[in-house]
Amino acid sequence: MSERWGYAINQWKPNFDFFTRREQHERAFKTLSAAGFRAIELRAGTGRWEPLGRPEQVAANFGSAAQFLTYLNSCGIDGVSSLWWDPGEPNHEEPAPARSPLTVEDHAGIVESARILAQFLRDVGGTCLVARALPAAWRTGPLSSAQLDAAGACWSEVGAVTSALGVSLALHVDFLSPLRSLEDIGELLSRTDQELVGLALDTAEVSIAGIDPVALAKQHGDRVRHVHLKDARDTVGGEYLVPNAEKHVLLGGGERRIERWFWEMGEGSVDIRAVVDALRAHGYDGWWIVESDQSPSPPESVLLNAWTVQHVLAPRSGSGR
Amino acid sequence: MDENGSRLKWAYQDHWRRFGAGGPVMPWTSVSELDRFIKQIAAIGFTGIQTFDWNLYAMREMFGSTTGFEKFLQERGIEQVVDLFHARSYDQTGSPHLRDTHDTLFEECRVIMELAEGLNVQNLIVMPAALYPDVAPVSDDQIKAAAELWSRVGEMTLQYGVKIGAHHEFFCGIRNADEVEKFYEWSDPRYVHFFMDTAQHVIAGLDPVQLYNRWHERVSGFHFKDTHNVDVNDDYRKRPDSELMAPTTPRWFHEMGTAAGLVDFPALVRAMREHGYSGWVGVEHDKANFGGNYAESTAISAWYARNVLEPIYEGRA
Repeated sequence: MSERWGYAINQWKPNFDFFTRREQHERAFKTLSAAGFRAIELRAGTGRWEPLGRPEQVAANFGSAAQFLTYLNSCGIDGVSSLWWDPGEPNHEEPAPARSPLTVEDHAGIVESARILAQFLRDVGGTCLVARALPAAWRTGPLSSAQLDAAGACWSEVGAVTSALGVSLALHVDFLSPLRSLEDIGELLSRTDQELVGLALDTAEVSIAGIDPVALAKQHGDRVRHVHLKDARDTVGGEYLVPNAEKHVLLGGGERRIERWFWEMGEGSVDIRAVVDALRAHGYDGWWIVESDQSPSPPESVLLNAWTVQHVLAPRSGSGR
Repeated sequence: MDENGSRLKWAYQDHWRRFGAGGPVMPWTSVSELDRFIKQIAAIGFTGIQTFDWNLYAMREMFGSTTGFEKFLQERGIEQVVDLFHARSYDQTGSPHLRDTHDTLFEECRVIMELAEGLNVQNLIVMPAALYPDVAPVSDDQIKAAAELWSRVGEMTLQYGVKIGAHHEFFCGIRNADEVEKFYEWSDPRYVHFFMDTAQHVIAGLDPVQLYNRWHERVSGFHFKDTHNVDVNDDYRKRPDSELMAPTTPRWFHEMGTAAGLVDFPALVRAMREHGYSGWVGVEHDKANFGGNYAESTAISAWYARNVLEPIYEGRA
């Protein structure tokens, strides 16, 4: 079976007022296309400066999801692979407040938000909704079994809704998550319906959290529905518990003033080839999404990652260039 | 590939620099920087590079030999160094219109040929005349002197398997239609070839398609690059410099595929197809870092080459 490869475009939008103009999108998409990436992962956002962040904004800027797809095609991009979404980020369009899968009262709202995004994904040819699994650990504190039960139930319910729309659900574990080990991840996965909910394995995020991504791929490979490939050099240690860690640690670099957590493949210490091999051994058939997340030069990151895909990871037929 | 089996192969003219933590970094500063550069251009479909001849010294220092460098390229997906740019700053010690400096210029090119042995370079690219204000008023005898020099140098370089490709910067002394016509009429067609830089000709007010149709038998290579401005203010005449310091235009050169681009690349590629051109085409966008980014400009050029120009050349559009 042909592998499906794409690129997450979040690196072009480090903040809300970046990457708003059509010509910026066009140059980014053509850069990706020239490098052999013909599908893109979007990141959910809100408001008029997020023209690619939600179906309402796509409609306002392109007319409709179909016209957005036509525009992508004109840039040499075949379509959207997936969309990353954090229900903890409020949006103006529904409107929706910040919600948590740990809070039972939030579940209905999370399910409805997911339905809107999954419908949009279906309309632009996407096949996977990538959801932040849990809020950051500095907010949640240690999780009880009941809280994990609640989160598992929430995501199973979301998975049922997205699945009915032909969109899979994959839970993305980041380095600020309260899930800090293979066992922790297993605890959440075990509370979800394995037919409806999968794992999004992000090689850099789990590595920074101190979790071996190769071991994760081997142990939970049968649950992996989505992959983010990026490299890392540092681990976060205990700083994931710093209040407002998204700001002070992820963006601010924490006490060590780490300027960049995420690197192009091959620029860090993650054995990405071993992760890919392990997932291939499990028969993984989801998207391989390359991501930079943080980059001083997004086009340069694309080109370097493209070379690694072409020459090191050697995608199987139907992908890459 | 077209119906006759002809194809275009894309080479990248290296002006690259990236912004590192300490500011701009050029590829030839270290093997690891070259590694980053070569991988990036290979990833978007380039299979050849064009570089400056002064890098031959760094090449030997870093890789031991020209063949050592070529092996480094090939391991990363680049076949070869296609062309070398001999960017000599002309002065009283060496200038094509000054016959008494020709021996110096000839010897400099011979040294380059010896340094380049092992690389299978196709063209040594030269600016055929000094800066316009250093030559003006341009006379027929000055053009004849330049034609004599490059005919003599071209005969020598051909013994190394390398053609002399004259590259007419918009600010050089052989730039307008009359001067270009005379230069090729008066130079030896066996030894002096035309290396067409599309943007330079458009800036100078010339049509690259007309030039190509007129001189296609002499054309030995290209720089496909674009411009957004014709020099309508005689910037080419201005001292001390018109390339970076023209008062009207802070950036002359752009990559292929921008909306404001003035070069008619589709028409040129149709003409190349009609005349049976096959092989290497260089892509260039020097000064892309002025308000831009080399990696992005290079990718946009590659996109345009693959999605717009190749279908035309191959008869699919």
